[in-house]
Amino acid sequence: MAISKGSRWLLLAGTALAMVACGDEEPGGNDTPNPPSGVTVNATSAVAARVTFSPVSGATGYLVERAEGATGGTFAQVGTPTAPPFDDTGLSPQTTYRYRVTTVSGGKQSSASAEATVTTPDRALTVINADITTSTTWTADKKYRLTGFIHVANGATLTIEPGTIIEGDFNTVGSSLFVLRGARLVANGTAAKPIVFTSSQPVGQRKAGDWGGLILVGNGIINRTAPVILEGTGTNTTTNPAIDYAGGTNNADASGSLQYVRVEFAGYATAPDAELNSFTFAAVGSGTTLDYLQALNGLDDSFEWFGGAVDAKHLVSYNAGDDHFDISEGYVGRIQFAIAYQQIQVVPRPAAGNVSQDPQGIENDGCSGANCTAGQNSQPYNVPLIANFTLVGPPAGVNTQGSGLVGAMLRRGTGGFYVNGHIARWGRAALSLRDQPTLDRITGGQLLVNNLLLTENAVTFQPQTGATIQGTVDATANAIDANAATTASVFTTFPTAPTGPASFDWTPSAASAARTGGLATFTGALATKAGTVVTGTAYRGAADPNGPKWWQGWTNYAEN
Amino acid sequence: MTKRLWWFGLIAGMSLVGPGSTLAQTGVGRIVGRVVDAAQGVPIGGAVVELVGPPTAFRTTTGVDGRFAFQGVPAGEVGLRVRMIGYGPKLVTGVRVPSDGSVTQDVSLNAESIQLEELNVTAEAERGSVADALNEQQNSVGVVNAVTAEEIARSPDGDAAAAVQRVSGVSVQDGKFVFVRGLGERYTTTSLNGARIPSPEPERKVVPLDLFPSGLLQSITTAKTFTPDLPGDFSGAQVNIRTREFPANRQITISTSTGFNSRATSKDILRAPNAGLEWLALGASDRSLPGLVRAAGRFEPAPSQAEVNAMVGSFRNAWSAPSRSGLPNSSLSVSVGGSDRIAGQGFGYLFSGTYSYGQEIQASQRRAYALPLAAPGSVAEIDRFEGSTGRASVLLGGLVNLSTNIGSGTRISVNTSYNRTADNDARREVGESENLGGRFQIDRLRYVERTVLSAQVQGEHRLGTRHLIDWSASRSAVGRHEPDRSEIVYSLDVDPQGNPRPPAWFSASNEGAVRTFADLDETATETAANYSVMLGRPGRPHQIRVGGLYRRADRDADNRSYSIAATLPDAARELAPEAIFDGRFSGPGQSYFRVTPLSAGGTYTAQDRQVAGYLMVQYFLSSRLELLGGARVERSEVDVTTEPTVGAPVSTRPRYTDVLPSLALNFRMTETQTLRLAATQTLSRPEYRELSPVQYREVIGGENILGNADLKRALIRNFDARWEWYPNPAEVISVGVFAKRFSDPIERVYLATSGTRIVSFLNAESGANYGVEVEARKNLRFLSARLVNFSGHFNGTVMRSRIRIGDGLSSRLNDERAMVGQAPYVINTGLTYTSGSGAFSATALYNVVGRRIVNAAEAPLPDVYEKPRHLVDLAVRFPVLAGLRGKFDVKNLFDAAFEIEQGTVTREYYRTGRVLSVGLSWQP
Repeated sequence: MAISKGSRWLLLAGTALAMVACGDEEPGGNDTPNPPSGVTVNATSAVAARVTFSPVSGATGYLVERAEGATGGTFAQVGTPTAPPFDDTGLSPQTTYRYRVTTVSGGKQSSASAEATVTTPDRALTVINADITTSTTWTADKKYRLTGFIHVANGATLTIEPGTIIEGDFNTVGSSLFVLRGARLVANGTAAKPIVFTSSQPVGQRKAGDWGGLILVGNGIINRTAPVILEGTGTNTTTNPAIDYAGGTNNADASGSLQYVRVEFAGYATAPDAELNSFTFAAVGSGTTLDYLQALNGLDDSFEWFGGAVDAKHLVSYNAGDDHFDISEGYVGRIQFAIAYQQIQVVPRPAAGNVSQDPQGIENDGCSGANCTAGQNSQPYNVPLIANFTLVGPPAGVNTQGSGLVGAMLRRGTGGFYVNGHIARWGRAALSLRDQPTLDRITGGQLLVNNLLLTENAVTFQPQTGATIQGTVDATANAIDANAATTASVFTTFPTAPTGPASFDWTPSAASAARTGGLATFTGALATKAGTVVTGTAYRGAADPNGPKWWQGWTNYAEN
Repeated sequence: MTKRLWWFGLIAGMSLVGPGSTLAQTGVGRIVGRVVDAAQGVPIGGAVVELVGPPTAFRTTTGVDGRFAFQGVPAGEVGLRVRMIGYGPKLVTGVRVPSDGSVTQDVSLNAESIQLEELNVTAEAERGSVADALNEQQNSVGVVNAVTAEEIARSPDGDAAAAVQRVSGVSVQDGKFVFVRGLGERYTTTSLNGARIPSPEPERKVVPLDLFPSGLLQSITTAKTFTPDLPGDFSGAQVNIRTREFPANRQITISTSTGFNSRATSKDILRAPNAGLEWLALGASDRSLPGLVRAAGRFEPAPSQAEVNAMVGSFRNAWSAPSRSGLPNSSLSVSVGGSDRIAGQGFGYLFSGTYSYGQEIQASQRRAYALPLAAPGSVAEIDRFEGSTGRASVLLGGLVNLSTNIGSGTRISVNTSYNRTADNDARREVGESENLGGRFQIDRLRYVERTVLSAQVQGEHRLGTRHLIDWSASRSAVGRHEPDRSEIVYSLDVDPQGNPRPPAWFSASNEGAVRTFADLDETATETAANYSVMLGRPGRPHQIRVGGLYRRADRDADNRSYSIAATLPDAARELAPEAIFDGRFSGPGQSYFRVTPLSAGGTYTAQDRQVAGYLMVQYFLSSRLELLGGARVERSEVDVTTEPTVGAPVSTRPRYTDVLPSLALNFRMTETQTLRLAATQTLSRPEYRELSPVQYREVIGGENILGNADLKRALIRNFDARWEWYPNPAEVISVGVFAKRFSDPIERVYLATSGTRIVSFLNAESGANYGVEVEARKNLRFLSARLVNFSGHFNGTVMRSRIRIGDGLSSRLNDERAMVGQAPYVINTGLTYTSGSGAFSATALYNVVGRRIVNAAEAPLPDVYEKPRHLVDLAVRFPVLAGLRGKFDVKNLFDAAFEIEQGTVTREYYRTGRVLSVGLSWQP
């Protein structure tokens, strides 16, 4: 509905006339106060406004009400100042609000004042081009642009308010945010106001690899001996110095708290084969909170853990350039409620790097590379607990190639507990239990795969073809259910071509196989591992048939 | 057809200036020769030479280069008397002057302190003493080893790299790079006629010696101790390649040979597709980066699909190599030289050209990686690929050397040479990737062209008998062009049930199809001048020498790599690469392909300016004890600017100023024995690219490299002692010891990362290197009189080294280990039979390098070693007709395997086959 400027004035004038008429009709008695006059409102930032008005004599207080939009909307009380002015906060940028004020005198209220209108401006751009070495707060009224490799260091805490937007600068190599060992990031958004890390490119022109990513480095334990340099760092000794994340000793270490945080279009390759992940948790300890996190269209992995013990819940990965969940080097934390969904092969920013040759849903390695002193048997073993996960691979015809496309690739000596999950649509296999040390973890009781629903995967277990050892477990004994149901039928709404975050409803459909078959009660090593953090469920997959749709409201689904 | 015509043209052209043009009168001939100092080997200018015998009217004075010539001498036997102030006179008798020909007779003079009375020797005996005098090893002030043209001629060595590995303590890596005394290539520098040659290698500071055809070489000397008149940035050796000098007599030589490789010739080998005038090593321009792709720069803004399709079509559609029968090797060389008078001015000249073509193979090729197992040091094999490489190689070169004397005290010479190589490789390998969990077939086509051009003017002015000024100005240019390397990967996949699928292009990967274009050019200008004054007498020639050098080098390296990926249906991916890229999928409206520039960082420029000055004193404490001391000051200013993939270029500008002292004592124990002691300080500066803190993938090894802007130059203290005995001409027995201490040696290390490993460089804490060298070259008649025609040579070096890495980000198992490249021993030996007349000779040569680290491993893997390779070569030289000589060579008689191992895993393995060749050389 378009209203011309002129007609808006007419409307306002009309409203004022009506109010004057109203006053005439119902003249205030001696004990009914007059409403304040001269009500004006000015935006003080992208998310705050100041309401001023002339005081009314004898007033004991005022009620300030706000409605969103130039017209319509519902007025709701936002403050009760005793005197002008009133500062309103929590607004959205580039939004029009109307305010009105009512005088309170004794027990009586005046009628509402004339309305005043304000449109908040866009967030002011703040360029961050230097390391953060003292504790700092980023507020939602600004848009922060990471220009270059930014490190939170020196034990500082960076606090980010809900609703804050942080952009990675497209024009500066690998712009990214590193929270170094000893420093903390407190980024607690809300479902209504998530904290968003995204590309500085306009919507519609964003591509995987536009910027670097979010990296937390803690003092937790990894199974490689120091020094081990974080992939993507050390490309430039002054601007991107090497970060050694090995040698930590405290798996209870705290790196802060991330809640309702999205990381979008990240993954710039600072060097060949050294793309940054959307979220990297390197040796992050269990004193850290990770809850409600989404990675969208990153060029490398969506979530990658290197050792450490941090627990995580409510993770969403929509379209990854490589793996959705990549866990290695002795991670011993617990993850519950995780969704991975691949619809397209992401399109990288030119020269940022290429998509992976072996994308998988979960890709867990025990230990690989230099400084694994006992090779793939290096300790501590990589033993995550992943419960209630939904891993949906790319549709047929996307990403057909000679490698990758396994729902859960467990290899190089990894252990772990993988329960109550749903693995769907993976072109090579649902599961790969690869390499002798990995099979040794099964016999050693550190690797357990059970109560899984499988749909539309090429096979359950990847067969052995060359010299690389592939193993299996007994599907029946482990309740691995290769179900004939279609993947789409498992969910309430499963779009063939999603258009936005609202097009997904991961809740099991009425007749869904995911509603049952879960391991409701954990026992033995699994129960010990789960502790109080993860509990068994009767359902399989990331969505409780009767629970809240936890992935809705704060996530995004955009291809560019 | 064109090829044949060219050969005919060359031969016909040569014969025009060929024989018959000698301007001799009937019954007369020429005598030419040189007068040299018996102890120093230096030419003696101004010496009086006269003929003794029936004709007495012949008398002349030697030029500054010690040369003299008599024309129109009646044929027959004459004597030569040579006199010079400060030297004992000498009479050489029995010099046979041929009718219509010429004879060369060099003469050496002893200082008067050693010999006062006139010495009377035969022409034959004098040849031996001159050989001695000219023996650079014997007469140098430092520890020097040399390979001479005669030795090279008696070996099957086709280039300078093959020839130099006969020197004691020298080993050659990859057939190109020289390691001396177990020190890596960074500790060896290379000069051509005394002027430093820039390196055509993008990532190393090293000159590959296979660029120099042996036919153009006079000698290769390896100076192992530093004297202040040499650049101080070496520790292993300073290798000086001298191009051939003009012969005293006008000479034309034409040689040709053909060879058969047991594994390549007439066998099926991979033969890469040709482009351009490749047989002349001119194939690069037909492989250049398509303009369309170059213009797209960093692909920002992203090209449209139509542009991408055009780019895909613009690449040369060559991805794989057919297997065809290998051709025999062939070579031709022509040289014309002499000394003639033109317009009354005497000129020495030499024109020489050489060409060779060969087809080589690396058969039974295998490579793999090692995976650490739980037990310390134990490894399992992964990523094993097998295949073969076929290679066509062209090596051509030419030189023009001219020199003339002006007056009696000045000599000007001009040396120019140009060498060019081209290697066209095709490799196919099939194997399993551990990371990707599948089997793949990888085809690679690679064409590398390298050039070295050097032009030099040198002057020598003798002022009186005591002052000598020499100067030189050189310009050299090197290039390495690796246009259009192509790599294509086919997946040998299986279906979910494990049944094989047809090979299909690995089209989604960034490594599925890659084209790489790498160019490197470096030019260097060097001017140097030296002044020496002799203060003593010829027997005790004290000398003061001062000099300076200015050198400027500019390098331009450009490296671009493009990945071509596509989303194609399976049936399309199963086509041959040349079909996939023939345009059927890149037509209008089609959108299958994607072209991505891969990270840059290999593109950089570098500039190096160097100023050096020195003072050095050679003082005879007695007639037998010589002290040599001095110091050199060197200032180097390096600017390296690297272009990262995105963002502003990154510059590193180190400045170094160093004083390098040197002290040496040479004790001439007897006429034939010398004891040498030397203590010197030298340095090693980082290679350009090592200084750049921008990560990139190296062109050659494919490793991810990260430079270090904080690298310091390394200082090395060198100690040498050597005893030498020259029992007879052309015989030597020597024993030497050496020790070196390094501060801040630059080491190539691996960094462990959460992803791909990175190679970087750091200053290690310290290093040490020490060893013993033994050399013997002796006629075997001392064993039995019947062995008079046999002579043997042996040189062996036994060495140890330690390097301590110290703190840093390096991933390593041990903080201390041997230096990379150091073998525990290097042995060269050979046996030569020479007939009494010298016309027939047969030589057997053996070379072995002990097990050496080629790569220091990342923990917990064991280090990577190259296994000893026992190389046996045979060479026979025999007369055929007057002026026509034949040769028969066998190279790599036992087809020794090249093998690199890491623990129990064979990391690399191949065989190159044995090569039999026959040749003819015609010298009218």
